Amino acid sequence: MTDRAENSLLILPGLLLLVLAFFVPIAQMLMLSVSGENGLTLAHFTRFLSDPYYLNVLWRTVRLSAIITLICALIGFPMAYIMAHVSPKLRLWLVIMVILPLMTSVVVRTFGWMVLLSRSGLVPEVLRDLGLVGRNFSLMQTETAIVIGMVQVLLPFMTLSILGVITRIDSRLEEAARTMGCSFLKTLRTVVLPLSVPGIVAGSLLVFTLSASSFVTPNLLGGARIQVLAASIYRSVTQTLDWPFAAAQAVILFLGIIVLLMPYARLSGRSNG
Amino acid sequence: MVRAVSTPLRIGAVAFVVLTGIFLLAPLVVIVGVSVSESQFISFPPTGFSLRWYEAVLSSDAYLNAAWISIQVALLVTVTSCLVGGAAAIALHRRKLPFSGLLSTLFLSPLVLPTIIYAIGMLMLWSAIFGPVSVLTLWVSHTIITTPYVIRTTLAVLSESNPFLEEAAQTMGASRFQRLRLVVLPQCLPGLAAGTFFAFNISFDEAVLALFLRKPGMTTLPVQIYGQLEFSPDPSVAAVSSIMIGLTVLLIFVIDRMLGLHRFAST
Repeated sequence: MTDRAENSLLILPGLLLLVLAFFVPIAQMLMLSVSGENGLTLAHFTRFLSDPYYLNVLWRTVRLSAIITLICALIGFPMAYIMAHVSPKLRLWLVIMVILPLMTSVVVRTFGWMVLLSRSGLVPEVLRDLGLVGRNFSLMQTETAIVIGMVQVLLPFMTLSILGVITRIDSRLEEAARTMGCSFLKTLRTVVLPLSVPGIVAGSLLVFTLSASSFVTPNLLGGARIQVLAASIYRSVTQTLDWPFAAAQAVILFLGIIVLLMPYARLSGRSNG
Repeated sequence: MVRAVSTPLRIGAVAFVVLTGIFLLAPLVVIVGVSVSESQFISFPPTGFSLRWYEAVLSSDAYLNAAWISIQVALLVTVTSCLVGGAAAIALHRRKLPFSGLLSTLFLSPLVLPTIIYAIGMLMLWSAIFGPVSVLTLWVSHTIITTPYVIRTTLAVLSESNPFLEEAAQTMGASRFQRLRLVVLPQCLPGLAAGTFFAFNISFDEAVLALFLRKPGMTTLPVQIYGQLEFSPDPSVAAVSSIMIGLTVLLIFVIDRMLGLHRFAST
């Protein structure tokens, strides 16, 4: 047996599985999205893009995902910076603090927010006691609830991708800036932040992609009235049983994400050589 | 080195970390709190202390069936993704195959593609060819999404391993199989182990594929919880959720003890 044969043998089971159970299903979905009763059609797409209801769903998905990504970046960057600069022992605890929610089922975490945000829950109660909101105030079934729940679900991804980049920044750069008379905040802004951009961009793309394609948290916290694209796909599959339309919506999500990822792939490809 | 950071900034940093920690962990703490409450209703802070909701879960057929299916699927997925992913990682690490860069990208692509898109494709293909979904459908599709994790953790340890050991074994007359079994496999082991734990955790907690690929009588634990949450949540849901949180804590502890979390935290 040659080296080539050995390596091929090792990779073959995985490759077969990947092609048959991953790429073929996606191809099937792409096919179904353009299939009509008599041959190929773009009817499912025009239906989506000409209905104000679905356009509103699409716009809400993009808007909420952008807000969620922004908040994750605003919390994730300082968090990652602090994690990179504390003692190894404390860092381990902070990593556990970030990873524990990440490794908990999304259903379970969302349930926690349902308890916290419901009318009799802790958060509205505290806000009422502080006199900030009225008697009938409720956070459930609002876009705010979706944003709160999703930020908690996705913050770990952002923090870990920024952390991966920040720990690789040469600490002497920061020291040099400080020695030359830069204040701490100015060093952060002019040295650390620019060098962390790859991590922030990678984290943002990940968070945006995941938040645009999630439906469990939006369904449970936002309810049926506040639909996002992924929730609408799920409804088309399980309730209206309109699979070609579901496939078309999935393709729209897919294309949106590819358009988003493309410039990044080109950028990182260039910087890698 | 953090020197000459002013005191207010330090206090601000501590406060920031504490608040973020509360934000990240609050939903989990609340669930555990609700699960030990005496009250009929979901309430936090809990009133009294009782384990009745845990008893309710352990005597509920719906939950036990769901748990059994989840465990079956997760174990099958763990074994297959470990075998398939481990073997692929060894081959990818050697970079001897044609198009090895492209192959790596292909193998990691299930990480980039949103699960919902894959789930809907899988449902459509499976229904078109085999008809109704089964445990096999979940097994295959969970294997697809967990294998990249095994490949990544295995590649991470292989990249730190000594490439000359295999060559030395060859010079000393070890056969191909002996080299794989006695040299390469032990080198992979920490990565494989970590990947295995991640695979189990992901499959056990996964809700998107499980929601799309379900049928009456075949629901996994997260799907069962999701169903309860949509209709009539009572504190028994909190008890099941707490058990799942406990399992995650245990897995994190084991991964850290065996391999060190820091190695995989930023891969």
